[in-house]
Amino acid sequence: MDQNQRPRSILDSLGEELIAILTPVSICMFTVVLLVCILNSDPSSSSSSFSSIATAAYSESDSDSSWDKFVGAFLNSLVFVASITVATFILVLLFYLRCIKFLKFYMGFSAFIVLGNLGGEILVLLIDRFRFPIDCITFVILLFNFSVVGVFAVFMSRFSILITQGYLVWIGVLVAYFFTLLPEWTTWVLLVALALYDIAAVLLPVGPLRLLVEMAISRDEDIPALVYEARPVIRNDSHLVQRRVWRERRSTQNDSNDVEVSVVRSVEVVVEEEDVGSRGGSEISVPLIDRRTNQPENSETFLEGIGLGSSGAIKLGLGDFIFYSVLVGRAAMYDLMTVYACYLAIIAGLGITLMLLSVYQKALPALPVSIMLGVVFYFLVRLLLEVFVVQCSSNLVMF
Amino acid sequence: MTVAAGIGYALVALGPSLSLFVSVISRKPFLILTVLSSTLLWLVSLIILSGLWRPFLPLKANVWWPYALLVVTSVCFQEALRFMFWKVYKRLEDVLDSFADRISRPRLFLTDKLLIALAGGLGHGVAHAVFFCLSLLTPAFGPATFYVEKCSKVPFFLVSAIIALAFVTIHTFSMVIAFEGYAKGNKVDQVIVPVIHLAAGMLTLVNFASEGCVVGVPLLYVVASLTLVHCGKMVWQRLLESRNQSSGSQ
Repeated sequence: MDQNQRPRSILDSLGEELIAILTPVSICMFTVVLLVCILNSDPSSSSSSFSSIATAAYSESDSDSSWDKFVGAFLNSLVFVASITVATFILVLLFYLRCIKFLKFYMGFSAFIVLGNLGGEILVLLIDRFRFPIDCITFVILLFNFSVVGVFAVFMSRFSILITQGYLVWIGVLVAYFFTLLPEWTTWVLLVALALYDIAAVLLPVGPLRLLVEMAISRDEDIPALVYEARPVIRNDSHLVQRRVWRERRSTQNDSNDVEVSVVRSVEVVVEEEDVGSRGGSEISVPLIDRRTNQPENSETFLEGIGLGSSGAIKLGLGDFIFYSVLVGRAAMYDLMTVYACYLAIIAGLGITLMLLSVYQKALPALPVSIMLGVVFYFLVRLLLEVFVVQCSSNLVMF
Repeated sequence: MTVAAGIGYALVALGPSLSLFVSVISRKPFLILTVLSSTLLWLVSLIILSGLWRPFLPLKANVWWPYALLVVTSVCFQEALRFMFWKVYKRLEDVLDSFADRISRPRLFLTDKLLIALAGGLGHGVAHAVFFCLSLLTPAFGPATFYVEKCSKVPFFLVSAIIALAFVTIHTFSMVIAFEGYAKGNKVDQVIVPVIHLAAGMLTLVNFASEGCVVGVPLLYVVASLTLVHCGKMVWQRLLESRNQSSGSQ
């Protein structure tokens, strides 16, 4: 078949950005499910030991009636959402007063605490589970190094993109795992409450996130925040410029032969590097819309949102990663069937949100559609599908 | 029976689709999106079916005709949904073609259309394997195993994984046959897909007889290989046709 001279079809590159954001979300969810399955396999280690601001109003116990549990969960989520709102408004105030240095320092400090403290707890649980022989001093040194590198990765702009993305996903995994330790009713009501809060915060004119985004745009600055970006931002670092250039060269190649592409790439990349530098402005600018802060759980400020960088890269706030993974992790505590259904629902919701993003071209809340779909699918599968499928397959009747 | 056995059962059901995914589907991001959306469609159809049948469950054991009814209704519903899936795909094809014209790229090739159909079928197959086999596999990661009385020679997990593999093959390739049949208006192809699906569903009812799985599972694999052969012949013919066409027009 003479396909070597055939021009590349549109199917080769369509939907790349969507996959680039779906992959880390899937990896985060998969890791949280794995952790939940490994660490929660013995029911004797109950979840009542985890107390945070989200259980301040009411801590669930098995002997309460359903109505009590629901009211208690509702109060818990009210407290949580209220504290998030207060913290976000404080963030808006600080940004307004131009205390950028303080915000950056706080962001780095919170990343260090999450990686060191929460990461350390999970690692200790894993070491205990697998009986891994390691001593205290080695563990502390390794953990400290890991956390410090993580702080640099999310802080500094001239860092390797893969490592930054890896650390962001890992921070999301750690926080999400700890949220799955909340009691069951509280988790579900909290997720729904956060989805509603997200709509209000991003779309209402007095919403704190909207104020933040508008201030950032009007001042032409970016908010210091933990945000996952699907495409690397161009800087003058040669490593990043090469990656970006490679993406561009691909679209003009006529060969479908991968070997030739890589050979050509290494020759022409040198030339392109200078071109990009001289072209200046448009691609080296910093994406504006939708950077969000992430602060540790004791102040409980996770801001969510999805937006477009000025170079067209899709950006997803770390809070979205965390709450998607919390939903899937909580579904994993029931059964794997609910995990698959919730995963598909969340991905569908994310796809719908991205389509809306391309239509409306402004910052949108990424939580509501996915969380609502995820919750609906969880309850549908748990109530309807499971009986059906178990009936059929235990008799080996399939279609 | 330990993690190794659990992973083994999962790979029996999903191994070929995993290699298909890694080698063909993961190269083109659009195909990954097609797989995800067709998986979602299958899940939604399953939820609707279970909603319809929920008042009648649990069915009495050892009576096979309610299950026959269940299979027939489910297959009819899913085939209707397959036709609707094809309609949506037709509209999507028009959108993609006009998009390609706008950015002055070539329109969708025949292989692209076949790949999209394959990705759709793979999504259905993977959804079947996940919901009918993998979701029940959690106990297999523990220290013991489980046998059903009707098929007492083989662990339950292994039998369901083998059946799921046959169904993955059937779903994947019958979607290609169906799309080509609807596109060309070929009545044979259009009819043969629901027939294959129904036959496969009915063959699993053979498992109701004591030790029926000894007969039922090989017959199921006969149906699966028939699907494979028919699909291969059809695709080969289409590719030859289109190559003759393109070399004839030059």
